[in-house]
Amino acid sequence: MTTLSSSVKPKATPSLRKRLRLDALGNWIFLLPGLFFFFGYMVYPILRVLWMSFTDYRYLSREPAQWVGLQNYVNAFADPLVYDGLSRAAQFTLMFLPGTIILPLLLAVLVDRVEHRTIATIYRVILLIPAVIPGPMVFVLWKWLYNFQIGPINYILVEVLHIFTPQTAPQWLGGTSLTLPAVAIFEVWWGLGYHTMFFLAGLAAIPKELYEAARIDGANEWKLLWHVTIPRLRPILAVLVVLRFGSAMAVIDEYLIFGGFNRASPTYTWTVYMYDLAFKIGDWLQGYAAAIGWIGAFSMMFVVAGLLYIFRPQDG
Amino acid sequence: MTTTTQMNSHANDHRRRRRMGVIIRHVIINAFMLVILVPLAWVLLLSVKSIPDAYSGTLWPEVFDFSHYSFVLQKIDTLPRNLFNSVYVTAATVVITTVCAVLAGYALVHLDVPGQKYVVFLLVASLYFPVRVVSLISIFEIQRTLGLINTTSGLILPYVTLNLAISILIMRSIFEQVPHELIDAARIDGCGPWKTLWTVGVPLITNGLVVVIIVNFVTAWGEYLLAATLTNDQAVRTLPVVLAGAHGGMGQWAWPRIAAVYVIAITPGIVAFGFAQKLFFQGLMEGALKA
Repeated sequence: MTTLSSSVKPKATPSLRKRLRLDALGNWIFLLPGLFFFFGYMVYPILRVLWMSFTDYRYLSREPAQWVGLQNYVNAFADPLVYDGLSRAAQFTLMFLPGTIILPLLLAVLVDRVEHRTIATIYRVILLIPAVIPGPMVFVLWKWLYNFQIGPINYILVEVLHIFTPQTAPQWLGGTSLTLPAVAIFEVWWGLGYHTMFFLAGLAAIPKELYEAARIDGANEWKLLWHVTIPRLRPILAVLVVLRFGSAMAVIDEYLIFGGFNRASPTYTWTVYMYDLAFKIGDWLQGYAAAIGWIGAFSMMFVVAGLLYIFRPQDG
Repeated sequence: MTTTTQMNSHANDHRRRRRMGVIIRHVIINAFMLVILVPLAWVLLLSVKSIPDAYSGTLWPEVFDFSHYSFVLQKIDTLPRNLFNSVYVTAATVVITTVCAVLAGYALVHLDVPGQKYVVFLLVASLYFPVRVVSLISIFEIQRTLGLINTTSGLILPYVTLNLAISILIMRSIFEQVPHELIDAARIDGCGPWKTLWTVGVPLITNGLVVVIIVNFVTAWGEYLLAATLTNDQAVRTLPVVLAGAHGGMGQWAWPRIAAVYVIAITPGIVAFGFAQKLFFQGLMEGALKA
């Protein structure tokens, strides 16, 4: 507004311009409530944790925290559990990410072609049901589905299909090598509908004439998918890959609910290690935990930058 | 003649193949729908099984037993309390976050706010950073300083931020669909920014409001990490923490009873979504997904 009025009327009276400037500052009131929470419970805590990571900070200590420079980081780089933690998180991400992108993409392509309006609506409603179930509730549900005693998955494998006996039945969430894939499966389940909706919104924006033209040129369905659909969905793909990479690397609730604090378990990732050090181990080494948190975050940012580069907008 | 019959049979062939394609497509889609629905059907069935049925593992109950619902609400001391805690924390979080998001989204699109570029940049950047995990240690410290550890109300403050950035960005993209001319016209008529927002803006953004409310409802209703870290006593805790800690045994926490608690816990979200479904989809398509 300021620039507009001054360019139209180059000789605006100073008092008017001043008033507009004051208005603009007054408009900040609209942002204040949101920014109060944003800075108070997001920006400040992150910076505070960064500061802690350079100190020997402990909640319970009466002494003020001492600045220790990079000591926590030096210790962390010599700590095999930090590497294990990061590598476990990365393994999980590799198991989870392809499924949670490719399956919804294929499903969206199929649902997008459904012409019957009522049926299409029913599909969409079912797709979004898991998305309105909170994450931790999903984890609790699957903890039971995988359960040894009452879980239907092992019941079907043992009693119905007779693939296993009760003695050999798989221990899904018991911290075995099956645990991370088992977690990845239900994470894909949870995101299936929501991600499909994402892609459906993208597909709705592709002009149908593009397909007609390509079909007349003799392209088959796979070629259409590869050369018409996927390039058009590129921006949505980029957002989903980066966001899901971020959530997969930083998974913590699931691991706390299933795995607990067994350091040998594949669910003991850097996030659980950080939590364990900060809140569970008697020493309460918050300074060290803070450093591990930042190392995890920094490694993630490194990959995110790479992903954003790969998915950078391309001309033409 | 021969050519026409050939063409006819060719067309028939084509049509038949198309119909096969449609059938196969629906079969595949329905397989996915089953995968989504079966786990939920299982827990629903578990909640109405008799206790012996539940432990025998059979999938279809031999005896339907609906008494678990009344049992858990009457006989588990803290459960009504936990339910109330969840309702209270969720309602407060949803109201505060939605108000913050509407005000900020409106200001970022329709008002002249110096420095708004930086605000948007920070909001987007926060989506890519593992905020929840990294900030936890400091949030514990803040709550301890404020004396809010082990209080239910204390959870509301950090809960507001869980979806704040995405909510503001959603509202921003919804407000971008509101024509500037409408807002300007109201202002020329002498409405201040507040009145303009209330009388012109809000009626036009109801779809986006539904999206923001549902997204925040779902997160706050099911939040686990902060609730488990910042509270200790069963009576202060919210439903998800209690459920996650429940190990099926005998007595109070027999499996069908936990399943009944579970169904009580997930039903509000699904019902709310069912009612708001149409508005929700319109909101998603109008730009929530593009935010």
